[in-house]
Amino acid sequence: MGAQKKSSAAAAARISDDPEELSRVPLQAVLLADSFTTKFRPITLERPKVLLPLANVPMIEYALTWLESAGVEEVFVFCCAHAKQVTNYLQCSQWLSQPNFSVATIESHNSVSAGDALRLIYERNVIHGDFILISGDTLSNMSLNRALQEHKERKKKDSNAVMTMVIKRSKLSPVTQQSRLGTDELFMAIDPDTKQLLYYEENTNHLKGTLSLDKMLLIDNPSITLHNDMQDCFIDICSPEVLSLFTDNFDYQHLRRHFVKGLLVDDIMGYKIYTHEIHSSYAARVDNYRSYDTISKDIIQRWTYPLVPDVLLFGNSATKLEREGIYRATEIVQSRSAQIGPLTVIGNGTRIGNNTKITNSVIGKGCSIGSNVLIEGSYIWDNVTVEDGCQLKHSIVCDGVVIKSGSVLSPGVVLSFKVVVGQNFTVPAYSKVSLLPQPTKQDSDEELEYADNNSDIETSPIAGAHDNLNGELTSDLTDMQSSAAEELGSGGAGYIWSICEGASEEEWRHSVAPVPAEKLAEISQTIDDDLDFSYQDGNAPASSGELKPGGLSDSDDDDVDANNDSAYFEKEVEATFLRAVHENVKVDHVILEVNSLKLSYNMEFAACAGAIFYSMMKLALGTPYNSSAELYNAVVNVLTSWKRLLKSYLSGKDEEIEIILKFEEMCSELAKELSPLFTKILCFLYDKDMISEDAILDWESEKNYADESDRVFVKQAEKFLQWLREASEEEEED
Amino acid sequence: MPDVHSLVNEFILKLKKRKVEGSQATARLAAVLLRSVISQQRIGYTNQAGALIDAVKAVGEQLVAANPVEIAVGNIVRRVLHIIRDEDLSLTTAAMAGLNLSAVSDDDDDDTSPDDHPVLSAAAVAAAARSTLRPPSLQSLLEDMPDSAAVPHTSSSGGDSEGKSKSADKNSRSRKLKHDVIEAVNELIQDIDTCHEQIAEQAVEHIHHNEVILTLGSSRTVLQFLCAAREKKRSFRVFVAEGAPRYQGHLLAKELVARGLQTTLITDSAIFAMISRVNMVIVGAHAVMANGGVIAPVGLNMVALAAQRHAVPFVVLAGSHKLCPLYPHNPEVLLNELRSPSELLDFGEFSDCMDFGSGSGSPLLHVVNPAFDYVPPKLVSLFITDTGGHNPSYMYRLIADYYSADDLVLQRKAAPST
Amino acid sequence: MWRRSASFILDKREDASSQQEPLTLSPSQITAPAMTETLRNPSTNVSAYYQTRAAHYGVITSDWLSQAQAAVGQHSVENEVRSSSSNAVDSGSGRPFSVIEEFNNWRKQPDLAEAVAAIRALAAVIRSSEATTMMELEIELKKASDSLKSWDTTSISLTAGCDLFMRYVTRTSALEYEDFNSAKSRLIERAEKFGEISCKARRIIAMLGQDFIFDGCTILVHGFSRVVLEVLKTAALNKKLFRVFCTEGRPDRCGLRLSNELAKLDVPVKLLIDSAVAYSMDEVDMVFVGADGVVESGGIINMMGTYQIALVAHSMNKPVYVAAESYKFARLYPLDQKDMAPALRPIDFGVPIPSKVEVETSARDYTPPQYLTLLFTDLGVLSPSVVSDELIQLYL
Repeated sequence: MGAQKKSSAAAAARISDDPEELSRVPLQAVLLADSFTTKFRPITLERPKVLLPLANVPMIEYALTWLESAGVEEVFVFCCAHAKQVTNYLQCSQWLSQPNFSVATIESHNSVSAGDALRLIYERNVIHGDFILISGDTLSNMSLNRALQEHKERKKKDSNAVMTMVIKRSKLSPVTQQSRLGTDELFMAIDPDTKQLLYYEENTNHLKGTLSLDKMLLIDNPSITLHNDMQDCFIDICSPEVLSLFTDNFDYQHLRRHFVKGLLVDDIMGYKIYTHEIHSSYAARVDNYRSYDTISKDIIQRWTYPLVPDVLLFGNSATKLEREGIYRATEIVQSRSAQIGPLTVIGNGTRIGNNTKITNSVIGKGCSIGSNVLIEGSYIWDNVTVEDGCQLKHSIVCDGVVIKSGSVLSPGVVLSFKVVVGQNFTVPAYSKVSLLPQPTKQDSDEELEYADNNSDIETSPIAGAHDNLNGELTSDLTDMQSSAAEELGSGGAGYIWSICEGASEEEWRHSVAPVPAEKLAEISQTIDDDLDFSYQDGNAPASSGELKPGGLSDSDDDDVDANNDSAYFEKEVEATFLRAVHENVKVDHVILEVNSLKLSYNMEFAACAGAIFYSMMKLALGTPYNSSAELYNAVVNVLTSWKRLLKSYLSGKDEEIEIILKFEEMCSELAKELSPLFTKILCFLYDKDMISEDAILDWESEKNYADESDRVFVKQAEKFLQWLREASEEEEED
Repeated sequence: MPDVHSLVNEFILKLKKRKVEGSQATARLAAVLLRSVISQQRIGYTNQAGALIDAVKAVGEQLVAANPVEIAVGNIVRRVLHIIRDEDLSLTTAAMAGLNLSAVSDDDDDDTSPDDHPVLSAAAVAAAARSTLRPPSLQSLLEDMPDSAAVPHTSSSGGDSEGKSKSADKNSRSRKLKHDVIEAVNELIQDIDTCHEQIAEQAVEHIHHNEVILTLGSSRTVLQFLCAAREKKRSFRVFVAEGAPRYQGHLLAKELVARGLQTTLITDSAIFAMISRVNMVIVGAHAVMANGGVIAPVGLNMVALAAQRHAVPFVVLAGSHKLCPLYPHNPEVLLNELRSPSELLDFGEFSDCMDFGSGSGSPLLHVVNPAFDYVPPKLVSLFITDTGGHNPSYMYRLIADYYSADDLVLQRKAAPST
Repeated sequence: MWRRSASFILDKREDASSQQEPLTLSPSQITAPAMTETLRNPSTNVSAYYQTRAAHYGVITSDWLSQAQAAVGQHSVENEVRSSSSNAVDSGSGRPFSVIEEFNNWRKQPDLAEAVAAIRALAAVIRSSEATTMMELEIELKKASDSLKSWDTTSISLTAGCDLFMRYVTRTSALEYEDFNSAKSRLIERAEKFGEISCKARRIIAMLGQDFIFDGCTILVHGFSRVVLEVLKTAALNKKLFRVFCTEGRPDRCGLRLSNELAKLDVPVKLLIDSAVAYSMDEVDMVFVGADGVVESGGIINMMGTYQIALVAHSMNKPVYVAAESYKFARLYPLDQKDMAPALRPIDFGVPIPSKVEVETSARDYTPPQYLTLLFTDLGVLSPSVVSDELIQLYL
C-alpha cells in the first residue's frame, strides 16, 4: 500500500491537477520553522526546534522530504527564532538545489506567533492558491492528493470552506487522559456526512468528564459525531482566504486556540473548516518531549516508512537495519561484550565500550560511550561523551554533553548543549540542565511563547499558587541554583532550571520518561473517586455532603489547574459583572459573556452561580455603609437588581447549595460584617425564591456532620430552618 | 556533464523514496541511465574501456547504495560493465591479430617478460582476455596473469599498439568502441522490454490441458505467462493466493477473469489445504541469486515448502535482469526490506497498544512487515528465464556469461566503503 | 587441517611452538619410520584405487606415452626408457629422488601448501632437465610427478597439484610458443607464479568467506584449517561480532590449536568434544570446515568427523561452508567412505589396547556434496555442482 500507492498517487497528483485548473498554480506550502512555544526549553534557547534531531535526522528534513514527495513544488520556510541557523542549515543541505522543488526562506524577528507569521506571509503576497500549512516539527508520510481534491471540490461548491484539517485516529490512554503524543484530550464534533468540523476543544482534562456543546450545533446539524479519539495532525490545507482572515482579525495568534475556535464560534462570516481523516498513513507533530519520544519510536518501528533511517539516508552515511529493529551506521566501534538491545539507532563513528547495555535508545554520530554504561530509552545526540559506569534512563542528551564516570540521569532529565555532569552525580528526575541560566522573564528570549496550555500562562497568581503547592520542590531547586557551579557535582557545568515555569505537576505528563507507576496508581485512584463522586452526586443529594469536601480537596491538590482556573474564572466573572454594573449592560449580554467565560474555562453552572453571587456580594460590600442595616439594603438592592442574572444560573439545587456555601464562606472569611446578616439574607433569598427550601435543608443536613466551627451559621439560621421544616411538614400534611 | 548528473541524482532520489516499483521498470531505467552516462563520457585514445568502466562503476555504486534491496539495479550495472569489457576485448583481439603478423616477424628473440604481449600469439592474448570475462576457473588459474591486471593490460596494449598505426583509425576506433557499447546496451534494454514476451512464449510447453496452477500475489510475468497459455487455447484453472498484506492476488484474479480464465481466490493460509489439487506452482521472483536461491515476495517460501511436501513442481519465472551474480548470505535480513506496519493493521485501532507514556516506555507491540522471502534452491524445480528453462544448479552458468568476474565486487565495495 | 603421515616432523615443530603435551608428539615419532619406509620403496601403501585411476584416466596415459616416445625417436626412447626404469629400480642418484628432496625442502616453509611445494619441485625438474624437445621434457616431468605422487599417495593435494601442473604442461597455451626455450622458461615462470597464486588464494577466500559471517552468529569449526582460520581472522579484523565453537578434533587435538589461535584474536571461542556436536548444533548458525581435497562429485575429503558433522548440520538445516583453495580440486570420484587410499594414523587412547581389539585408524572421511552448502574457493563462491563442472571442464 504505502510506497506503491504513494508513487501512483504522487504521479496522479501531478497529472490530474493540471487539467482541472486552467491557470496552473504550483502547489505551495508554508512551513513554520518555529513552534512559538517554550515546550522544548532549554534546548531551544540554543537551537531552533526544527533542527533538533529525530532519530539522528533534523525534524525539518522529514517535513521537507514529505512535502517534496507529496508533490509540493514551492515551500516557504518561515524562520523566526534562530532564523540564521535555519537558513544556514538549508544553505548547506541539498534542498535549495532541488530540480522541481523550490525552498524559499522568509525571516522575521518580530513575529511572536503563528498568527504574525501568516500575516507577514500575506504581506509578502507569495501565496497564490491553496497551500499546505504545517509547522517544521510535523512528520508524515500521507499522500496529499485525495485531501487536496476533496478540498478543491468543497471549495468549488462553497467558497467558505477555507481549510481542511488532517486528523488521525489515536486513542487516549484511559488513565492519564492524554494522547500517546502527550497532548491533552481533544474533543472534536464532526458532521459525519460533510466531515465539517463543528467543535474543537483542546484542554478538556480539567472538566471532569462533562462537556457542554452549544445547543445551536444540535439544532443546525442533523447528526454530529463527537470524537475524543482523534489526533490533530497539524497539517492544514488552506485556501488563500486563511491568510487574509489572519490579517483581518489581528488578534488571532494561535492557529487552533484562536483561529480555529474563532471561525467555529462566530458564524457571521460563515467560514467552514473541514476534516480529512487518514488511516493507513502516518502523521504526527512533535509537540512536547513525550511526543518526541513517541514519534522517535514510531520512526524506529517504521510507521513512517519510507521516512525511516535505513531507507532515506538523508545525505549521511548508510544505515543497516538488523533483526529486531536495530539500526546501525556502517562505521561503529563496538566492544564484543556490549549488548545492543532492540529498537535502537546507532549513529556513525560511535564507539561503545565493554559490557555496555543499550536498549530502546537513539545514539547520534561520533559519540563515545564507556564501559558498563546502561542506556535505556534515552536520546543521545551527536558527539556526546558518556564515561564508564553511567546510567541514563529516559533522558535527552544534546550535542557535546560530557557525562563523567559513575553519574546517573534519572528519568525525564534533559541535558542541553555542552553541559558537563560531574562524577558520581545524580541528576534529579525531570530536571532540565543548560549552560544558560534560566531567563527570569519568559519573553526575554527570541523564541517567544504564546499561551499553549493555561498552565503555561505566566501570571503571578498561579506562579504563587505553584510555589506554595510544591514548596519543597521549588525551594530545593532554588538553593541548587544558588550554587550554580557545583550544581552538577564536581567538575560539572550548567544550571539546573527550576521547573515551575511549566506546572511541575505537568512534568511527568510531557517528559520523555514514561509515567511512573505510582503516579499512574494515584491518578487512577483520583479518577475513580471522581467517578463515584459524580455518580453519587447524581442520585442522592443527601449523601453528596460528605463527598463534597473530598471532591473539592482532590480538585485542589491533585489538579492545580482546575484550581487556578476557578480562581481566574471568578476574577473574570467579577470583572464582567462590575463592568456590567458601571456601564449598565443588558442582563442578557452579561449572561452571554459569562456563558462564554464558562465555556472557555469549562466551568459548571454551579461555579458560575457561585462566582456571580460572590461578585454581587463584593459589589454590595463595595458600596459605602455605616450600619449593618445599610449594608443589608445594599445587598438587597444588588440582589434584586441582578436577580435575573443570578437566577439564570440557578438551574438546580446543587447550584443553590453552592451559593449558600459560597455565602457562608464569604461571611466566615473576608466579610465579617456580613455574618450577622447571614440569616436575613438567606431568608431574603428564600423569599425571592432564588433558593428553594429543600436546598437550604440539604445544606443544613450536610452541615450536620461538620465540626462546630463550621456550623456557626447553621446555628444562626436555626430559627429560620426550624420554621422551614415546619412549613414543609405542614405541606406534607395537607 | 551536468545533464547526466541531474539525471543520476533524480534516479537516485527515486530509488531512495522507493518510488520506482518492480524490478523490470527499475532495470530498464537503470539501463537507460547508464546508456546516457556512456554516451556523455568523453574518452581519450588510450584505455577507453578503462575510462568507460570507471564512469559506469562510479554511477553504479551510487545507484546500488541508494536502494541496496533493489537488486536489479546492481545487475544492470554489472551487465553494462560486462558489455564494455566484451566489446573492448573483441576490438583488442582484432587489433592484436592484425598487429602480431608484423610484430612476430621482427623480434623472434626469446625475451619472456609476461607483459610483452607482441611476442605472444593473438590466440594467447585472446585466451588471456577471455579468462578475465569468464569467472576464474582452474585453467585461468594457471594460464595467464591474475584477472584484475588483465583488463588494463589488454586495453592499454591495444592503445600503444595504435601508437604505431595511423591517427585516423585511432578516432575511428575510439568512436567504434563507444558506438558498439551503446549498441549492446540498447540490445540489453530491448531484452528487458521483451523479457515478459520471451518468457510467455514458453508457456505452452509447461502448461497443459486441465491443469491446476497455483500462484501467490501478483507478478506481471506470471500474468502474461498464464495469458499466453490461455491464448494458445489451453484450458486450465488458476488458484490465486491473495498475498497478504498487499493483497495483490486480488488484482491478479481480476485480470485473469477478465482474460476468461477459470480463477479461484484463496487465502495464503489455505495453501497447504489446496496444494494437493495443484499440478504446478508458477510464481514470479524479485531476484535470483547465483546459487539458485530466490528472493521472492513474502509468503512464497511457505508455498515452496507446501509444493515440496506434495511433490508439486515449483516453477519460478524471472527475466534475465533478475539474475544476480552474488551468493546470498543471511538473505532474510540483508536482502530484505521491512515495509510500513500500517499495511498490516490500522494505527488508530492499536494506538493505545503503542502508548509509550505508561509502563516501561518500551513498546510491547511490534509489527514487522518484511517484503521478501528467501526460497532456498533445493525447493525450486525450474527457472524459466527469457533464455529458456534452467535448473537451479545451472544458474551460475547463465550468470557466468552475463557478468564478468571482477565486477562482482561492485556492491561489496559500495557497502563498507561508504 | 589433518597432517598427512609424511609431514609429522613439521607437525612436531609446530606443536612444540604451540606448547602441546607430548600426546600429539607420539604419532610423529611412530610415523617417522613409516615415512622413511615409504621413501625406500614407493609402491607400498599405494591403494588399488590409485593404481586403477592411473590406469584409466591418468593424466598422461600409457598410449600417450608410447606416442610421445615414437615422436621422440626410437633409439633415444630405448635408452630413455631403460635409464628411467633403471633409475626407478636402483633408486640411487636420479631425478625422481631429487624431486622428492626438492619437494621436502619446499615443504619446510611453514605456510606453503603441499601442492605448491610439489609444483615448485616440478619447476625445479624443468630447470635442471637437459631435454631439448617439449616431448622429452614432458616425459621427464611425468616421471617426476608420478614418483612424487607415489611417494605419498595419501596426500590428495599433492596429487592434485601434480595433476594440475602436468595438465597445464601437456595441453595449454604454453604449447603455443614458437621455440622451446621460451616455452620452457614460461613454464618455469608459471610454476613460480603458481606459488604466489596459492598464497593469494587464501586471502581471496578469506574475503569471500567473511561476508557470510554476520554479527552475532555462532560458527562451528572442525579441525585446524589454515584457510578457515584466515577467514575467521579477516572477519574479526572487519569488526564482525561472532563466536566460534571448536571441536576438540581427536586424535591430534587440532581443535585446541585453533581455539588458541582464535583466543589470540580475542574471538569468543568454546571447545566441544567431538561427540558434543549434535548437542550444541541448535545454537550454531553455520558450519565452517576446511578440506584435504575437493573431489569431482563436489564433495570433500577432510579430517575424520566432518561427514557426521555435515549430516547433523544438514538434518538441522544449518549451512555447511567449505573453504578450500582450488589446487585442492582432485580428480577423485569416491563412491563411498572406503573408496579412498586409507590414510592411516595411530590413535593414542591413553590406556594400552589389547592386541585383539581392532582400532579404526583411518584419519579422514568423505562428505558427499548434498551435505555441503557452498564452497569458498579462490575461484569464487561455488556450489558443489559448480565444482564438479570445473573439474570436468579442466580434465575433459
